Amino acid sequence: MSNKRKRIDNLLKGITYFSASIAAIILLFIIIFVFKNGFGLLNIDLITNDYHAKFYNGGIEEVTEFSKTQRPSHLSDEDYYSEKWGIALRDDLDREGKAMVIVSYISEDSPLYQIYDKNNDDNDEFMIEKGNLISSIKFEDKASALSVYGAQHMIQILNESNQFREIVFSSLGGGIRGSLITTLYIIGITLAIALPIGIFSAIYLNELSRKNKINQMIRSMIETLTGVPSIIYGLMGLAVFVPLTVKYTPATSANLISGSLTLAVILLPVIIKATEESLKVVPDDYRQASLALGANRTQTTFKAVLPSALPGILTATILSIGRIIGESAALIFAIGTAVKDNITIFGRSTTLSVHIWSLMTDEPANIELASTIALIILVIVLLLNLIVKLISHQYLKKLA
Amino acid sequence: MLKIFNTIKIKLQSKHKKDYIDIFVKALFFLTTLISASFIVIIAIFILREGIRPFIDDYDGIGRVNLIRFLMGTTWLEGQTFQSNLYGVGFIIINTLYIAFLSLFLSLPIGVLTALFIAKIAPKRLASVLRTIIELLAAIPSIVYGLFGSGVILKIIYEMAKIFGVQSKGGNSVLATVMVLSLMILPTITALSEVAIRSVNKDIELGSLALGATKTQTHFKVVLTSAKSGIFTAAILGVGRALGEATAVSLVAGNARSGPTFAFFETTATLTSTMLQGLKETIGIDYDIRFSVGIVLIVVILITNLTLNFVKKKIGNVYVK
Repeated sequence: MSNKRKRIDNLLKGITYFSASIAAIILLFIIIFVFKNGFGLLNIDLITNDYHAKFYNGGIEEVTEFSKTQRPSHLSDEDYYSEKWGIALRDDLDREGKAMVIVSYISEDSPLYQIYDKNNDDNDEFMIEKGNLISSIKFEDKASALSVYGAQHMIQILNESNQFREIVFSSLGGGIRGSLITTLYIIGITLAIALPIGIFSAIYLNELSRKNKINQMIRSMIETLTGVPSIIYGLMGLAVFVPLTVKYTPATSANLISGSLTLAVILLPVIIKATEESLKVVPDDYRQASLALGANRTQTTFKAVLPSALPGILTATILSIGRIIGESAALIFAIGTAVKDNITIFGRSTTLSVHIWSLMTDEPANIELASTIALIILVIVLLLNLIVKLISHQYLKKLA
Repeated sequence: MLKIFNTIKIKLQSKHKKDYIDIFVKALFFLTTLISASFIVIIAIFILREGIRPFIDDYDGIGRVNLIRFLMGTTWLEGQTFQSNLYGVGFIIINTLYIAFLSLFLSLPIGVLTALFIAKIAPKRLASVLRTIIELLAAIPSIVYGLFGSGVILKIIYEMAKIFGVQSKGGNSVLATVMVLSLMILPTITALSEVAIRSVNKDIELGSLALGATKTQTHFKVVLTSAKSGIFTAAILGVGRALGEATAVSLVAGNARSGPTFAFFETTATLTSTMLQGLKETIGIDYDIRFSVGIVLIVVILITNLTLNFVKKKIGNVYVK
């Protein structure tokens, strides 16, 4: 082999090494980007909090008894505690970097438990809770204590006062509890619809149907579905399922059911194909043995064939879950983009993926929160895929 | 009446009971299969029904959309302010095709070479790691690609535009869209090309080696040529995905209202990003026109697929397994 040939060969080989490394670099970049931007916000509060902050004006009757609770030992140096009012406040920064004052502790005998909602007469559960933001405390006879002056200042003024006119506070907001619950609901409903239909269809096509023109046409129709872009499925959800659910359920607009139905249609060809593949792997001997023993087709299918095909169906299900979590274009049409905190299956709300889209199309875009949600989605989806890989690996080992 | 019930009961209890269950189950499963298959028809009917309305209905004085102008138009006027029936989708069709093929141009060579590396060149361990990486890339939801695009790629392109001395709207541009789409179709192309490369008959390879060609020569000249039909299929699927991708594109395209745009740093619009604009309406021409664009998208994808499949046949095959 001439030296020139060697050089050319090495160059060509080098190009393939370079190309292959691009994929790895992209994956690495995406993961680093999502972690870097999203990890800061990731905590349990984000997952359990509502997205929309609720604002309250609390008024107070005459205070008869002040708190007697000593400063609790678990408070850190950053917490400013008022023994008189039994409340601890702390300085913090919100997502835009503005100063805010957050309630870090409130004692059970705090007079602040007696406040009433000035905006709503019969709000029984009204109270200040740990994690609320205090924006201002207004007094009759002196200047208001505003959050911009910090927690220390606020506590100082509180300690000097025996009475106030109004306390303005809000819940933290910015949480993703609503979208998370919606996503879980959608996964449940979609799988409940798509799995039986998909698996039954696969069984029909692979086990029961004869090879004729009609069945071939049905098969090619289902195959055509795979190539349809998800935004077209979204249009179908908008044109078919939304009116359908509005007519037959209490829903008044796009809702979780219409979203789930749309997703179910997207998943059908995927589930059918995966199930069929796993049915094809089952050796024909199983069927013949079962039939020879006097079992009928149904018994053979359910008792002999399906159990062997179970790993394949399981992988299809897991992949479907990943697909549901990641789907955005179809759902933007089929359930809308409104981020909601009170989730009902007949109401509007939105999944985690669509939540990212709404955050990014807002002005200004909230890249941090979007990345945090993306981080959650990414971890779940990549884990699901690795699990699938593991299952099929085990299964192949068993077969071999 | 009772007699009939009894006969049915006896019939069911007889030894043929199993057969009835078989018939029932078969009928049920056939029904679900019919339901699965019918969705393609439902999609066609309903999107056509809604999408045709802007060309027929008068919309209380706004007027119907002119089909020729719609298909050839170079501006897209929408929104309450315009009360408009002046939608032009012609430039968007050109933009969409331009972007899809540019993306393919970028990711096809990289994808095919990666596939070749995984299938033939890499050591076994490395190959399986890379295969997992490709699978994970394919599993990443498009919205995350969109987020990555607007968080990283837009910034890079904004800086690049500054270096070139061109204005760019925060990086939203043809180039950004092409890059995001290339990333997204890369795993599809790689995975499918790998299958194609693997299915090349070993004899052809051995023949080439026996004739004195080096391994690398064989890989590039013989294996790739033999797999070209499969690689073309991968390219067709890649273009299909690029044409239909919606959310990620809408975050980086910039939603140009007129065009067509070919310059890399100018904003652009695709059929899908146009469909995602102005989601507030639930009725009226702005709502219906989305379906018309949907029809155009389906037709564009169909025509592209047919053309590429025709080209694939013309190119022919060295070897088909």
